Amino acid sequence: MSNYIPTIGVEVHVELKTKTKIFSPSINGYGQMANSLTNVVDLGYPGTLPTLNKEVFNLAIKAATVLNCKIRREMHFDRKNYFYPDNPKNYQITQARTPIGYDGYVEIEVDGKTKKIEIEEMHIEEDTCKSTHRGTKTLLDFNRAGVPLIEIVTKPCISSSTEAKLYLEKLKELLYYCDISDCKMEEGSMRADANVSIRKSEKDPFGTKVEIKNIGSISNVGVSIEKEISRQEKLLENGEAFKEQTRRYDDKLGDTVLMRVKETGNDYRYFPEPDIPFIYITDEMIENVKSTIPMLPNERVKKYIEKGIPKVNAEKLIQNRMLSDYLNSILDSNINFKIAANLLLGDISAYLNKEETVLNKTTLTTERFIDLVNLMDNETLTSKNLKDILNKVMESNDSIENIIKESGVQNITDDSAIKETVKKIINENPKSVQDYKEGHDRAVKFLMGQIMKETKGSVNPKMAMDILIQELNI
Amino acid sequence: MNDKLSREEVLHVAELAKIKVTEEEIEKFQVELKKILNDVEKINDVKGYDDDILIAPWSRKTTLREDKEEEMLQPKVVIETAPRHSGNYIEVPVVISEGVSA
Amino acid sequence: MRYLNKDIKTIHELLKNKTIKPIDLVNEAIERIENSTQNAYITLNKEEARKKAIELEGKEVDNILFGLPIAVKDNIITKDLLTTCGSHMLDNFIPIYDATIVEKIKDKNMIIIGKTNMDEFAMGSSSRTSYFGAPRNPWNEEKISGGSSGGSASTIANRDVLFALGSDTGGSIRQPASYTGIVGMKPTYGRISRYGLVAFASSLDQIGPMTKNVYENALLLNAIVGEDEKDLTSARKPEEDFTRYIGKEINGMKIAVPNYLMSDIVSSEIKDSIKETIEMLKKEGAIVEYVDVKYLENAVTLYQIIAMGEASSNLARFDGIRFGHSCENPKDVEELYYETRREGFGDEVKRRIMVGSYLLSGENAKDYYNKALSIRDDMKKEFENTFKNYDLIIGPTTTTTAYNITDPMDDPLKSFMDDVLVIPVNMAGLPGLNIPVGFDKNHMPIGMQIIGNAFEEAKIYQLASFIENKLNLELNPNGGEE
Repeated sequence: MSNYIPTIGVEVHVELKTKTKIFSPSINGYGQMANSLTNVVDLGYPGTLPTLNKEVFNLAIKAATVLNCKIRREMHFDRKNYFYPDNPKNYQITQARTPIGYDGYVEIEVDGKTKKIEIEEMHIEEDTCKSTHRGTKTLLDFNRAGVPLIEIVTKPCISSSTEAKLYLEKLKELLYYCDISDCKMEEGSMRADANVSIRKSEKDPFGTKVEIKNIGSISNVGVSIEKEISRQEKLLENGEAFKEQTRRYDDKLGDTVLMRVKETGNDYRYFPEPDIPFIYITDEMIENVKSTIPMLPNERVKKYIEKGIPKVNAEKLIQNRMLSDYLNSILDSNINFKIAANLLLGDISAYLNKEETVLNKTTLTTERFIDLVNLMDNETLTSKNLKDILNKVMESNDSIENIIKESGVQNITDDSAIKETVKKIINENPKSVQDYKEGHDRAVKFLMGQIMKETKGSVNPKMAMDILIQELNI
Repeated sequence: MNDKLSREEVLHVAELAKIKVTEEEIEKFQVELKKILNDVEKINDVKGYDDDILIAPWSRKTTLREDKEEEMLQPKVVIETAPRHSGNYIEVPVVISEGVSA
Repeated sequence: MRYLNKDIKTIHELLKNKTIKPIDLVNEAIERIENSTQNAYITLNKEEARKKAIELEGKEVDNILFGLPIAVKDNIITKDLLTTCGSHMLDNFIPIYDATIVEKIKDKNMIIIGKTNMDEFAMGSSSRTSYFGAPRNPWNEEKISGGSSGGSASTIANRDVLFALGSDTGGSIRQPASYTGIVGMKPTYGRISRYGLVAFASSLDQIGPMTKNVYENALLLNAIVGEDEKDLTSARKPEEDFTRYIGKEINGMKIAVPNYLMSDIVSSEIKDSIKETIEMLKKEGAIVEYVDVKYLENAVTLYQIIAMGEASSNLARFDGIRFGHSCENPKDVEELYYETRREGFGDEVKRRIMVGSYLLSGENAKDYYNKALSIRDDMKKEFENTFKNYDLIIGPTTTTTAYNITDPMDDPLKSFMDDVLVIPVNMAGLPGLNIPVGFDKNHMPIGMQIIGNAFEEAKIYQLASFIENKLNLELNPNGGEE
């Protein structure tokens, strides 16, 4: 076990899901032809000026709210000045002095205990353009230039890679559920940097800080923090001092690599952006945004459990927002939610995956889904039979009852028909009847199996059982 | 007050400004820049100001735009304005240091 | 036949009754400009202007500015028309969009005759920092026409066209207007959209009209003001006619003269001329009082900090990547930056960018820039207080009259001191106008500055036109030409 205590802070950039960019009305889009989503403002042409997208503020207020941040009411933007080819104006418009949100927190569960990860601040800024290095050249695509970002900065209050990962998963879940961001790390719409230092005791001052930049996935955040901690430990154990530095995680090496050593700190020459006067956030804006916040994942799990869904399934459901939203839309109905959850996580998910489609592109309206759940609840339809008619359920507009009838998979619920089959099975299996009479319960199970086999599972099992017991006891 | 910046100071501000200065220019700028900076020091004679700052006079409240797209530029137009380009990209000579990303 | 030295009402009538066509005016302007030694223009828009003039022949003369040539300062973006900002950095820059103000003058069917010469990126007070050489003063070609809008001032004074646009960050409309004996207005900050004005100091820059007389100035202002959704610093104001008080009496008008503006920094010749005008105004019923306005003497310092700080950031985009000048065969991106900017910028611009970078670096931003913004706020309040008791403020526009083009340029503070009397107006974002009030012993024009409260340009025009009428000076340097 290590002799050092790690101190970790995480900075996350997420791209906001707006239609247009923050400072211009160009489309905020991904995966389009290079330099096809730009205008003169995004390119920093001489004479151009920024305008401000209202939706950016709505989403930032929403994020601040779900991250339990205080919301600043009067703010301005600042210019961060640095030359780099991906930075069209050679300054980035950001909020250095008046971040829109501050003093927030996110709750995570560590070893069954709740821990608050404190958020120092969250601010709005613009994304840079995308640069690709090719031999002796760098190619620039300005489609991403001016895409709105929020940067969320934690206090140095994270004490393990596990906590860092749990925090990021929680953050991702919250932002994704609120439609604030796609949070796709693989597409760069969520990016994480970690600051890592170690020290011997809580009483010691913080150790030398190392920043790990642009880590491509949550699991790599974990790996890179682990690697960085052990790298620093080795250095300190060998009595080697090291300077504040920036490293990046190299996927192929599975380790962090030095990017640059910080000399005297970057001189960004921040000053208030003179092209954008003060912005005032009104009560009305905040109230409007609050009314658009959906039920958050934690609350959903609680609700699902209340409705009789096992915890494990409740947690599985919120992993898939489409299924969870679908279920939420019928949460007020009076159905068997355990069956509903099983259906969504089982056959329906399998169908959607196979067909590579989504629920609202199938014919399974919530009304038909409710019918389906009820028909299974009263055992008119068994889950085995559902498999035979699933395609029709998902693809036709016919009522579920009709589909069942037409495909002949309906459970036999006719007393006499069942009685006939039961009698036949009893006659064919005298040994088991004998076993039953001698008190061997497993005989019933065997006979039921035979009945189901005979009827190809189309018999209502509860009715068949009742009749079987009756007949055996005559 | 000094009447000259040091060589290092001139080179430092030239670096911030990303402007190459020749040997002769360094000497010239040592004097000229210092002359302006000495003048700027008069700010220290002003007393009695507070924390309120003036960013944009007479237009102190920002109006926000609706999130609606407007016409964009054709990639062809974008790259043809640029001194160097290839394909649909604007091109720059290789970037040596890994820069700061947002 | 000369038309462009006449007043707008006459020309408008001639256009309306088809005695002349827009092409006649365009041809006259082009001929004058091409044959002049003024060096007022960087680019002459010959073919396009003629094309546009002929196009207009089929249209109704629907407004008073219809068909009139206008000169545009070369830091205002014009689509498909070279826009250099007086710099080698942009001497190949053909913009792909129009500034909002250019759209507005095109909507009025005005014809852009060319792009006027100016100090490089508007940094200077004599237009001598232009990459294209200094424009000359029509009153005496040995003299500067002031700056940074020196080309616009020169072409108006020479009666080449009726209208020109300038820009004023620290006096760059009013000071050249004073040196050349014309009317130049810097409107209230936010009056006119800055979208498409290449930024020098964003919180100070403002476009304004330059004309030979007050009425024409107010007419052009009518056409170019208004809130612009593309410029968040533009102000929302009800529409108004800036000519509406022109011709009205000034009886009872309360006018303040700040003592600082009449202090020893101003030449006695100019002070005398201003005093004469003051006496005339008093005689006509105005109440003129000398007052102290705090912070006026600090304005240049604030200007240096704010303008250079903002400029260092605004001019960072000139890096040889997306537009403009780019150095040959850079081996890496650092060399691209350093060489492009060394080659592209002149000395004055380099100095200001370097000083500005210094003033914002590290702790300096707090000690200089933020402090300046705070004092600036106090200065604005001080002006507001003065305007509680007075309608207008007056004083000289410049400390001297136009000096020789060949005067030494070795003092880096000279360009700031030339603007010492006009800079306070930019600091407070107020409207200010130059009106000619006399001549010095060498018959070079002397100007008076009229400063109004925010958005009270109409009141400024009222006093300016009154003075114009009363003094009735011969302001055409070519005298009684016909």
